[in-house]
Amino acid sequence: MQHLDHGRLVFLALGESEADTDETTHLDTCAHCRGEVESLRHVAGLGTSTRSLRELPAPPEALWQGILADVREAEATPAGAAGSVRRQPPTEADAPTGTGSAIPPAPGARSRGRRVRWRRWVTTGLTAAAAALLGVVGTLVVVRSGEGTTDPAGEQVVLASAPLAAYGPTPPQARGEARVFDDGRLHLHVANLPEVPGYYEVWLINPTNGRMFSVGVLGTGSDVLLPLPPTVDLTEYSVVDISAERFDDDPGHSGDSLLRGVLAR
Amino acid sequence: MTAVRQRSEPPEDDLADRFRAGDESALREAYDRYGRAVLHLATSTLANRSDAEDATQATFVGAWLGRDTFDPSRGSLLGWLLGIGRRKVVDRLRATARENRVAETVRQLPEPVTGGPDPETVVDRLVVADELARLPQDQRRMLELAFYDDLTHQQIAAVTGVPLGTVKSHIRRGMASLKRRWEVDGAAPGPRPAGLPGAR
Repeated sequence: MQHLDHGRLVFLALGESEADTDETTHLDTCAHCRGEVESLRHVAGLGTSTRSLRELPAPPEALWQGILADVREAEATPAGAAGSVRRQPPTEADAPTGTGSAIPPAPGARSRGRRVRWRRWVTTGLTAAAAALLGVVGTLVVVRSGEGTTDPAGEQVVLASAPLAAYGPTPPQARGEARVFDDGRLHLHVANLPEVPGYYEVWLINPTNGRMFSVGVLGTGSDVLLPLPPTVDLTEYSVVDISAERFDDDPGHSGDSLLRGVLAR
Repeated sequence: MTAVRQRSEPPEDDLADRFRAGDESALREAYDRYGRAVLHLATSTLANRSDAEDATQATFVGAWLGRDTFDPSRGSLLGWLLGIGRRKVVDRLRATARENRVAETVRQLPEPVTGGPDPETVVDRLVVADELARLPQDQRRMLELAFYDDLTHQQIAAVTGVPLGTVKSHIRRGMASLKRRWEVDGAAPGPRPAGLPGAR
């Protein structure tokens, strides 16, 4: 079948010409030409609506600064292990069992001042999130506290958990466990952590891109319950990390990871 | 002069290649050229300005960190950026809908109607606007008179002093380019010829 001339289809679509009898007959039977007219008509409609797009306002400069800060942050994270980390970079053998090589090296100290914006980005960027927590409800496990009073959470529904193992040069007897409860809190139980001059801080890390955020601080006790941001996606921020931090003015990760583990349902 | 793309700039191929290669000046150039299109996509679909700026920022950061996955043979840099932006916007819209549902369960309020155009339509408009800006000047001028001023081809010929046959020829070619670009870089679902790399 001979299709209609494309120019004719354009003019028919634009309403510039009326189809004559032969053309009408052809369009009635030819899906290809009919589809072409419909597509062209749609494109013409889009074209008409582009008028307001000719003078779009430029984004504010702060937005560019935010992009740059995030890019620096992301690029500094994998590179940090080679440069500014104070200890030996961990080898594969040092990684806790089950974590594999997907875990990024401990990050170097990050620059300050961008952190507020960055944190906000992480939180808002991950609002797809509640879904992750809701999604795992199908595989709930009810855990009864076997440790009596040592478990401050009592009886709780565990959404995900991670055994924590010594990371890098941390003494191998250091260990712990992380559990995410359905009330949105992270329970940490740790044992034999090495003494540090500062304090212990808890992080969740996205192993795909090295992004992380601080969940809170671990005191001197062996257990702590920390609230998680309600929007965090634990399938992305799947690595629990406990670091040694100094009392300095750097709110970022020190690069000294003591324990790590991967959350699993 | 379009806001989507400045006419005096060098061809995009060079920018796309440098972007892929990790030349950081290309990130800034891509932002200068297409930041307003991505921001427009976000502001016209998300109610909250701060969410829109975050989505725009996340789009460029994500694009830069994932620049290895940009395949120039499958579409333009703008089309690719808008594809990423659309996913960011859709994620945000879904999250908002979820938050609203949760809030409504508590308040027992009816589902609010979501306003604004859908992200796919906005992407399609931006892609067509960009292609319109790239057309040879005569083709663009004729199409703008047809689109914006709703002139017939006869009227365009009279207004511009260009012979009717030439007007028709410009419009025919211009429309073919717009349609081709929409098929490659557009986002809205619809019939597409087999073998064309859809931007989805």
